Amino acid sequence: MKGLLRRLRLKHSLLNKYLLIVLSALLLLPFAFPLIGILLVLPSWTQNADPDNRYRDGMRLERMWHAEAAKLEGASAARIDAELRRLRADYPKAEMFWVDGSGTTRLRLPEALQLPATWSASYTVQFMKTRSGGDIFTVVAFIGSGRDQGFMVLQLPRILLESVGEATRRNYGTIYVGGILLALGLFLSVSLLFFLRIRRRLVRLERAMAWPTDDGIPQTVAADREDEIGRLELAFNEMVRKLEASRAREAAETELRQDLIAKLSHDLRTPLTAIRGHAYSLNQEALSERGRESLGLIDRKTAYLGQLIENLFSFTLLSSGQYPYRPQRVDIVRMARTHFAGWYPVFEQEGFEVDTDLPETAVYWEIDPEWMERILDNYLQNVLRHAREGRYVALRVSAEAGGSIAISDRGPGMTGESESRGAGIGLSIAALMLKDMRLRVDVRSGPSGTTIRIGRIAAPGGGPAV
Amino acid sequence: MKKRVLYIEDDRDIGRWVKEDLERRGYEVDWQLSGEEAAERAKRADLVVLDVMLPGLDGFTVGQRIKKEVPNVPILMLSARTSVDDKLQGLRFADDYLTKPFHPDELAARLDVLQRRYGREPGRTIRLEHLAVTPDRQTVVDGRTGEEILLTPKQLQILLYFLRNPNLILTKEQIYEAVWGDPYIEGDKSVMVHIRYLREKIERDPGNPTIIETIRGIGYRVKQ
Repeated sequence: MKGLLRRLRLKHSLLNKYLLIVLSALLLLPFAFPLIGILLVLPSWTQNADPDNRYRDGMRLERMWHAEAAKLEGASAARIDAELRRLRADYPKAEMFWVDGSGTTRLRLPEALQLPATWSASYTVQFMKTRSGGDIFTVVAFIGSGRDQGFMVLQLPRILLESVGEATRRNYGTIYVGGILLALGLFLSVSLLFFLRIRRRLVRLERAMAWPTDDGIPQTVAADREDEIGRLELAFNEMVRKLEASRAREAAETELRQDLIAKLSHDLRTPLTAIRGHAYSLNQEALSERGRESLGLIDRKTAYLGQLIENLFSFTLLSSGQYPYRPQRVDIVRMARTHFAGWYPVFEQEGFEVDTDLPETAVYWEIDPEWMERILDNYLQNVLRHAREGRYVALRVSAEAGGSIAISDRGPGMTGESESRGAGIGLSIAALMLKDMRLRVDVRSGPSGTTIRIGRIAAPGGGPAV
Repeated sequence: MKKRVLYIEDDRDIGRWVKEDLERRGYEVDWQLSGEEAAERAKRADLVVLDVMLPGLDGFTVGQRIKKEVPNVPILMLSARTSVDDKLQGLRFADDYLTKPFHPDELAARLDVLQRRYGREPGRTIRLEHLAVTPDRQTVVDGRTGEEILLTPKQLQILLYFLRNPNLILTKEQIYEAVWGDPYIEGDKSVMVHIRYLREKIERDPGNPTIIETIRGIGYRVKQ
């Protein structure tokens, strides 16, 4: 049992709290009924403005009636009539009459009151007997202090005067329903509060998860309670901390790797530079034609090796997702033109016919401009290396279908034999980069030339922003 | 007067060879193995050639320090502009880049361009076919008649911009932003119009220009 409790960790459990609320509601129920009864009667005690209120208290009525009767000591019949009329005005629901010393019924209020004209002793006794404990509340008071002036009677339906107990008994149904409603209402509102507080905390947690900070990691939340949600918050915070730590580790690894590759790349290039430089120096010396040819080859191959090293390292970084990517809104027409301007003299020197077709209006893509330049470099490099015999290169940018960039040559096609191999890695880099930038490439290659066309992958809502 | 190049390179083979090559091309070369005193030495130099990886201080730190101390000396970085080097460090201070293994002719050509762009050659006159342009005095003289050709400020600025970037193809956007100093607005024809008027003043045959060459679809070029 203890083990089970510990496993459920009930000490600070929400279950515990809620059980407490249910229990309190059950305990409250017996107390709710008297409470409702008091609540129902209380207004009648406090509200004297109620016109029926003066009839409620039979004792008071009796006292009042005797006092009024005593005041009429030795009064004339006319004065007694007047007094009764005044009292009747005060208590319109009560019926009043008086009988004089000789037993004759005098003033009746109202007039229609069914009474004998004269009161015999036996009738009087019978009257008193029937009235005592009957439905009609009756007060009989002798006028004055003696017995010879007669008596005056006040009668009214007993229903008008009720004791607390009677009222309670009469309202029993209301009290019963009210008690249950009170207990239920209290229970429901406390439950509601309880669940609202749980909900608020859950929503706070959800927000912390759904709206991460700039670096994509959620913020930690304040965990101040020890219940289930508190423990969830603690676990969440722990997860965030782990995520941050792993992110930091990843960043450090990335930096280390990039640094290593930069150093390696530099260290490999340095001897190549020396070889190329010395080949150049050698070329200044007197050499045979064959010697010069060899030097020319050394020069070309060292340059090519430099590019291969660059591509190899780029590919390593790119395929492990560590190549820096900084997308921005770029006008590809302008970018392609500016970049191609740098290549133009190279093609010109090689005797290429250069053709361009660029629209006048801007076409915007969300790309990393350095990546795109690199992609274009790789394709143009390829043209220079493999399509030299075509002596033709064309750059075409179109605004249609979200924009496209096309590079064409008249070389032997990609399947054709070419003097230098190893272009694959450059094209692989271009393909990887294009994929990451949500661009696609169509290659049409035949014996009369190759056209490489870079376009957008149709994305929902990703139309060209021209 | 010889141009002084501060050359910082830790590799002795390359260093010796580049120093000899540049000296043969008429430069005075101050070759240093490390970047320790670079900022101080750069004050006496016209150009700086800097290797990225150096023992002790790395090339980026050295470059930034030089640029801070002597901002008007152009810096050419070696072994940069590759996949990682410049993107890692944001090589904003460098004026040009050259990737190893470079060809000595290319290094010389880049230095030439940098030197002209910074124009630290007072009173120099540049000859373009029949024209003699003196950037310091902002004059353009027709060599055939010896008369000065009067250009509007914008025309002159365009011409001088071409001379600062010899042999490079400049796009209309680049020219506009360099001369007007504002971001280029799509469809603007100012550059085209100004170049047409400029040609009418300086070309022998404005209908068939030879000084300011049009590279169809790309831009303009002035060869030197």
